[in-house]
Amino acid sequence: MIDLLETCLSRINEEYAEMRGHTRRVLSVVVKDGRIEAVVKGLNRGVCARALVDGSWGFSSTTIIDKKSLHSILMDARSLAYSSKPLKKRYVKIAPVKPHVDEYETRMKRDPRSEDIECFVEEVLDADSEARNYSEKVVSTTLNLSIVDDEIFFVNSEGARIKQRIVRCFGAARIIARSKGNIASAYESVGRQGGLEVFEETPLRDAALKAASRAVRIAPKRVVPGGYYDVVLEDKIVGLLAHEAVGHTAEADLVYVGSFLSDKMGEKVASEMVTLIDDGLFPYGFGTMKYDDEGVPAGKTVIIDKGIVRSFMHSRETASQFGAAPTGNARAWSFEYDPIIRMRNTYIKPGDWTVEELIEDVKDGYFLRGVGGGQADFNGEFMFTVQEAIRVRNGELKEPYRGAAMSGNAFDVLSNVDGVGRDFKMHIGICGKEQPNYVGIGGPSIRTRLLVGGR
Amino acid sequence: MEGDKISNLIEISELAVGNSKKLGVDEVEGFVQRQRIIEVLLERGEIQSERVKIRRGIGIRAIKDKSVGFSFASVLDERTIRETCKDAFSLARASPKNPDWVSLPLPKRIPPAPDGLYDDDLSSLTSDEALNIVLEGYETAKEVDPRVSIDEGKLIVSSTEIAISNSHGISLYDRGTSIAFYLICVAKEKGKASSFAYEYDISRTLKGFSARKVGELAAKKALLSLGAKSIKPFRGDVILSPDVASEILFAPLISSVNADNVQRGRSLWANRIGESVSVRSLTIIDDGLLPYGLGSSPFDAEGVPSQRTIVIENGVLKSFLYDSYTANKVNRESTGNAAREGYSSPPYISASNLLVSPGTKSLEEMISEVDRGVIVNRFSGKVSNESGEFSGIAKQAIYIEDGEMRFPLRETMISGNTFESLNKIAAIGRDRRATMMDVYTPPILIEEITITSK
Repeated sequence: MIDLLETCLSRINEEYAEMRGHTRRVLSVVVKDGRIEAVVKGLNRGVCARALVDGSWGFSSTTIIDKKSLHSILMDARSLAYSSKPLKKRYVKIAPVKPHVDEYETRMKRDPRSEDIECFVEEVLDADSEARNYSEKVVSTTLNLSIVDDEIFFVNSEGARIKQRIVRCFGAARIIARSKGNIASAYESVGRQGGLEVFEETPLRDAALKAASRAVRIAPKRVVPGGYYDVVLEDKIVGLLAHEAVGHTAEADLVYVGSFLSDKMGEKVASEMVTLIDDGLFPYGFGTMKYDDEGVPAGKTVIIDKGIVRSFMHSRETASQFGAAPTGNARAWSFEYDPIIRMRNTYIKPGDWTVEELIEDVKDGYFLRGVGGGQADFNGEFMFTVQEAIRVRNGELKEPYRGAAMSGNAFDVLSNVDGVGRDFKMHIGICGKEQPNYVGIGGPSIRTRLLVGGR
Repeated sequence: MEGDKISNLIEISELAVGNSKKLGVDEVEGFVQRQRIIEVLLERGEIQSERVKIRRGIGIRAIKDKSVGFSFASVLDERTIRETCKDAFSLARASPKNPDWVSLPLPKRIPPAPDGLYDDDLSSLTSDEALNIVLEGYETAKEVDPRVSIDEGKLIVSSTEIAISNSHGISLYDRGTSIAFYLICVAKEKGKASSFAYEYDISRTLKGFSARKVGELAAKKALLSLGAKSIKPFRGDVILSPDVASEILFAPLISSVNADNVQRGRSLWANRIGESVSVRSLTIIDDGLLPYGLGSSPFDAEGVPSQRTIVIENGVLKSFLYDSYTANKVNRESTGNAAREGYSSPPYISASNLLVSPGTKSLEEMISEVDRGVIVNRFSGKVSNESGEFSGIAKQAIYIEDGEMRFPLRETMISGNTFESLNKIAAIGRDRRATMMDVYTPPILIEEITITSK
């Protein structure tokens, strides 16, 4: 396919044009309450063209892959760029990048393409039956396991020619328990970039049991009483905070329109215990790729270094706008989307406290565990829900409560950090910013102070 | 979208059925989809990009010995279709039996398509025209007041054709169009910003749509939340806008009448047909045949005829919503509520158009009857569809005292429980609106909600 794309591009001499071919193979198994809901195998293949004509972008995509159709999307992209030009105020320029000719493939011990994958159906069914047998209070289970195998070809008019193959193996369990007329649900996920060995190292069964035990534990409990408290946040909640409430405010397109960090470069916005990084090369990260979807090599972006804002995340366009170097953060979900600034693997660096030490100094507060959902505005205001809140009194874990909301301004929360754990875990996530994408979110446990909302 | 192409799509779905039969399936269904989508994106207050997407694909459900396999492909040549059939068949053979499987649906008489689901103006809309629609909304918002700026927005115009064939003789074609546009505006005054104001319009036809209205309302909403104040926590009345009512009342309600959730112990209403579940003033109908309806179609995503189903009548739970799988399990008829996200998704249960019967009061009358409370226009938080617990930030909220709107509220948390709230509905408004969730509801006044301002 890549030769076909190059042939197409070679015919034009625009300022800039690029084409991206993307083939996504998906295999997924969904089991609900012991029944196979679906075993799904799928193929999505298509090509897009993006052209920069006189400071204006145009984009077009197709699933019909022949010379004629590819030529026509390239022409469409040019004419869209041309016709939308009078409506755009900004003249787009892109920062220079050396055109790379390279290949990358996820490091795998067991490539899913060379194995009989049907044994996974059994694996999911086994995990499901363990979760259902965990307690009679478990009333419903939904488990899924997926393998997503992406092949991406990128060529541009500057001579870049990049082939990448990225394989992700992941799964999740949602368990519902009932007790005393209450109903509660808990959710856990597993996975990373890699081959089928992922499922041996982090079995779905473990996630299913973890979720089952939590659902059963919290089902009969009350919703947490609200108020400002000292809290210890579990690693995944820290990852969500780093990504959702802080990371987005360092994406240059949002910085440009006045996000919280827009006027804070070089300033202190968090406790000096906090270093926050977005890393495109994190080993086996869910958001790891060698090059982004503009052909820029992915690197490690230190956004907050010991509390101080050091860098934003850029595409070629915003890098030129800001006079900064591109950071390899331009990513697209599929051939149907143009690349926009996205995080890759975002985390807070671990410190040297044990989780016990973090909890020890809490007089009256909560240990918050398990991510529910969440939203954040680019001014740093966020509202997340956590699955379980365990009361801490005089440094000891007491009774569990269920479902708590936590909210506040992320930078207040980071400034209030007075302990960072030495535990560290990278989790998987799917982030939505107009288009979805796979990301890694991670961190250690941390201690801070925030508003716990209840009823 | 001319006549010759119509036969085209059905030919493809029939080809998949024919191929699969030769492989030895017990049953098979082919779902083919073709879409043309134009998207215009406003970001950072200006037109960021415009995309034209041509999307086509097929999804095949194959059944062998009560095992179901599903495969899909975005390529529609004969070779790929043959391979996709093989994939579905081998997945079915590799899967353990599902003893609950009975059958794919059998052909039934399909009602005539409701009016207003397909619009030539939209299917032939050019990318330049789409740009101008966005510009109209954008300019209108700016004209309202110089303090208003646009944060983001998006226009999606789609024209979709589908064909469904199965081995029992279902062979159907349908097409539809839609246009959806939203804007998020923010107003700034003396260095202080309002909260983000969200406004949208969605329609099956170009005539029924107004970008100008979106721009005007979004800007006005943003202005309305300037100068927000805090209040002490209290329990009081809350008027939910149609959007917020959809999110915190009707999403858990839809989840609780979804037959799959009912059968799987995920619904608190599982054994409550014929019982009272809400105040008497609440009547809810799922109407798949609503003319111009966002969720309307003559048949559902499995080829079962669409229908009108009374879900709640005068507060009494009347029916759940079924697809053919969940209906077969309990030996009854499907209510035609199978849906798909696209060719790559197997069918699942969804409400079509959920119609909440309107009351008699205008929004102003509802406000005038509130002693102390808030009106909430946007909600950002978590709603548990199973338990009905909700907790989150009321955005674009305005404080009401003695029947009058007093001042906008700074980030205010509201929390409660859907199923309790359905019994605390004090008033249902008169003016119904179609929300992005295909719920048609007026504003709704609920009593005794906990309101906590920061």
